[in-house]
Amino acid sequence: MLPTPTREEIARWRARHPRAFGRPPLERLVFALAASAFLAWLGWALWLFDITPARIWNGLAGLGTIIVLMIPPSPGELWTDILWGLAESVAMAFLGTFLAAVVAVPLGFLGADNMLLRGWARFSLRRVFDGLRGIDSLIWALAYVRAVGLGPLAGVLAIFTADVAVLAKLYAEAIENVEKRQVEGVTAAGAKRSLAVRFGVLPQVLPVMLAQALYFFESNTRSAAILGVVGAGGIGLQLSERIRVRHWDEVAFIIILMVLTVAAIDFLSARLRRRLIGAR
Amino acid sequence: MLELESLTRRFGAVTAVDHVSLKVPAGQMVGIIGRSGAGKSTLLRMINRLQEPSSGRILFEGQDITALRGAALRDWRTSCAMIFQQFNLVQRLDVLTNVLIGRLNRRRGPLSTLTSMLKLFTAEERAMALAALDRFDLVDQALQRAETLSGGQQQRVAIARALLQEPRIILADEPIASLDPRNSRVVMDALRDVNRRDGITVLCNLHHLDTARQYCDRIVAMQQGRIVFDGPPAALTPARVEEIYGVSEEEFEEQARSVPAGLVAAA
Repeated sequence: MLPTPTREEIARWRARHPRAFGRPPLERLVFALAASAFLAWLGWALWLFDITPARIWNGLAGLGTIIVLMIPPSPGELWTDILWGLAESVAMAFLGTFLAAVVAVPLGFLGADNMLLRGWARFSLRRVFDGLRGIDSLIWALAYVRAVGLGPLAGVLAIFTADVAVLAKLYAEAIENVEKRQVEGVTAAGAKRSLAVRFGVLPQVLPVMLAQALYFFESNTRSAAILGVVGAGGIGLQLSERIRVRHWDEVAFIIILMVLTVAAIDFLSARLRRRLIGAR
Repeated sequence: MLELESLTRRFGAVTAVDHVSLKVPAGQMVGIIGRSGAGKSTLLRMINRLQEPSSGRILFEGQDITALRGAALRDWRTSCAMIFQQFNLVQRLDVLTNVLIGRLNRRRGPLSTLTSMLKLFTAEERAMALAALDRFDLVDQALQRAETLSGGQQQRVAIARALLQEPRIILADEPIASLDPRNSRVVMDALRDVNRRDGITVLCNLHHLDTARQYCDRIVAMQQGRIVFDGPPAALTPARVEEIYGVSEEEFEEQARSVPAGLVAAA
């Protein structure tokens, strides 16, 4: 049993190590001020946007009406259009992600600070990635619809442009985190730089890259559904049309199909990812 | 008194611990030796119930430990503190908080979980933790992150955490296998100190025979999951080691260090 410290002992420890017993008063005051400032800002934002319990409650009631109208879900008469749109969305997501993942590999190597580029060249490339990343695929879709016309091509290009920069950044980070000893082993065997990358770096990063691309495919299947709303092809067009004419039962059918599709892709990609990473 | 009755643990076809029976009176310092893969770690981990036995029983002062669940199991774990080879400190928490982790299951009252969640430890608990750290010359590092400490210091923090649990037993699983000779001595001295001064029973897995002889009252040798020697250090002569393991003491220690656990267990 440990002896319970007496008051004098506690006081002695407190005198010796005041910080072990909590923050000093000034720090506490600063923390309290910062916390109340944040809360005040939060309250102000709620007031500014007129977010009140009453409005949320009324909104929930409206949502309830829509849900009632959705039951039972119905495929409607044009159900072949729905299936076609869904297939188009998945294809758009796959093509866009695939192209982005392929193009991102060389970009990732260029962006990694331990590989080809150094100094200002790498710095500016990374800033270009950052710039592209700042724009969502929906914005790209709006632009591409004007540029190449309505349809899936605009969607594929939108997904590609939005993701290539993000994937390149993630790949660059994966490449920066490779274990140097393995590369050293290859170099010590007399391999030139390109072959040291091929045999020392690539085996370490390839499974990570594939796993990340699979994640993006899954998430892009969801985004692709939205892209159709602005005219970039896929299920989104079907969805927005039915919302406009208030065919809520058909909307429900589309939503269920979308959830099932995403779940199936999630399941498959999780299994694939586990095999890729686990096999290492 | 800690009693193991025919304790067995199988992993598939491999029997890691094979019908081990052992009685450890309170206050003893027991060294458990054996090659890696001999079942020493599994044995200690079963006592703390980090691993479940396949069969057999663990008794402490007549109480059946193998049957404990929920809060009773957590209480048992608090009273038999574990020390790990890799220290198992939370690297990103400061040393003081790591030591206070030893108090978590000692805190009582309806609000104890909530105050623990918010890291609201009392001045009394903080003083206890500082006193424990002071004992191992670590009080000046109290507010540093655990990861900034050397291995020897981290292991002493782990012992301070164990002390705050106010345990009856300390189970040390290869506590010095990751340390250099000087730090090994400091850590073993600390373990012997808590054994002598606080009267805490210590079960310590070691692969260095001389360390076991120097620090322990009693040595238990294991081979392929079974106890093959149990007696005072003086009885474990080099001749006896050769008789048990079929190799000289130097060769034994060489093997204990170099053979990965998986290979021996599978052999």
